Amino acid sequence: MESLTTTILEALTLLFSGDTELWTIIGISFRISTTAIIIAMIPAVFIGFVLAYADFPGRRLLISISNTLLAVPAVVVGLTLYIVLSRQGPLGEWKLLFSQTAMVIGQVALSFPILVAMSHSAFQSVEIRAWDTARTLGRNPLSAFFIIMKEVRFGLLGALFAGYGRIIAEVGASMMLGGNILNSTRNIPTAIAMETSKGEFAQGIALGIILVSMAFILTMSLQYMQGKGSIRT
Amino acid sequence: MTDKILTHIQFSNINKYYTKKHLGIFTDRKNSKAILDSAEIELKGGECVLLTGQNGSGKSTLLRILAGMLKPDSATVTTGFESLSWRKANKLIRRQIMYLYQEPYMFDGSVTRNLKYALNDKQLGSKSNDQISQALKWANLEHRAETSAKCLSGGERQRVALAQAWLKQPSILLLDEPTANMDEESRRSTEELLRRFKDSGTALLIASHDVNHFSQTMDKRLLLDKGKICEMTNQVTSAHDNVSLFPSTSNKLKA
Repeated sequence: MESLTTTILEALTLLFSGDTELWTIIGISFRISTTAIIIAMIPAVFIGFVLAYADFPGRRLLISISNTLLAVPAVVVGLTLYIVLSRQGPLGEWKLLFSQTAMVIGQVALSFPILVAMSHSAFQSVEIRAWDTARTLGRNPLSAFFIIMKEVRFGLLGALFAGYGRIIAEVGASMMLGGNILNSTRNIPTAIAMETSKGEFAQGIALGIILVSMAFILTMSLQYMQGKGSIRT
Repeated sequence: MTDKILTHIQFSNINKYYTKKHLGIFTDRKNSKAILDSAEIELKGGECVLLTGQNGSGKSTLLRILAGMLKPDSATVTTGFESLSWRKANKLIRRQIMYLYQEPYMFDGSVTRNLKYALNDKQLGSKSNDQISQALKWANLEHRAETSAKCLSGGERQRVALAQAWLKQPSILLLDEPTANMDEESRRSTEELLRRFKDSGTALLIASHDVNHFSQTMDKRLLLDKGKICEMTNQVTSAHDNVSLFPSTSNKLKA
């Protein structure tokens, strides 16, 4: 018990003393995951919208595929991309393996199915009447799309937070594609895994506190916004 | 507000089949069912047409096709002397025709916000607030301007939708059971607003299963039966008419 308290105190000291190594890891983590979610978000939301509203052959098959991709483990995504990006792989010439770019690619691949599936269900929660109403009011398709996006903004934000939550805390793909190189590709989850395996818990706990705090802040802000939006007069 | 351009439009040879799809990909043409079979309809400015028919006869399908929301399997559109392809007609339809649901969809936000969606880019200027105020006044919704539109009653929602139509000023207004499930007062006020549209030269096509409604407003009554549209000869409706209209009406029909 005493050792746990000491470790937590050490972790807090590390956090608040502005430890360079620790804050570099945090910075890398947030930079990579934010880039990945921004890249994945736009096409994923659009695909979710098309799957919800457009009627085309194979739509249901695509929905099933998108839902199946949700269950693919991060390690498998990492392994697939590792093979593709490794020297002998089809994209080996690009020399992306063990770089931040490779980690971004991995995180885009991981967050994409979540964003598609959750934005699809967000759009589905609004009846097709909403789209038809926007169009019959004279709105062009792009304008109608933004009106519908506004209708489902909380669902889309939820998708965004869920996707972000998955990639920022994911260790498998990051380890395989990034290689856990200090000051370059070492992010929060790979650092926690490494420090724990060395028996050094203080840095791991400090990084864990950051992850939990982030999850708490994101959830609270979503709840706050939803509460504000649901006020009826 | 946009000038009214379309004063006469004719849709002919409208065909729509509902086809089963296996796995959402393979079409089962053998089991397709004709909802509309060479249906024809003509709409003129300032004319109110009542479209009747049994539940499931395809009234809503027809209205959704005319509004450009649903693609027909085939259709010919003629405006004045010009015959248009469906693609060209669809562009015109989007500009000139407005469709109102039985229960109009209200977007998140106030009544004013919902009315703003009906303004086009040209209207969204400094005068937009004036136009919205006028629309609110026109539909007797001034006291509801800042109310969340999702909290309105059915009758009030219909009035918001009509105020949106007033702002958009379509040449043709398509209404799907606009007074269904309404109390007498709401029904009267909706009919009054529709009369004002008609008087201003808007063509109205109202789908309703109740032939007794809109007797004061309608000029022509059509019956949609087995995918075909027939014009009823008698314009005056009665309670007896309501009962005898379905299912067999061949003796009352004109060509």
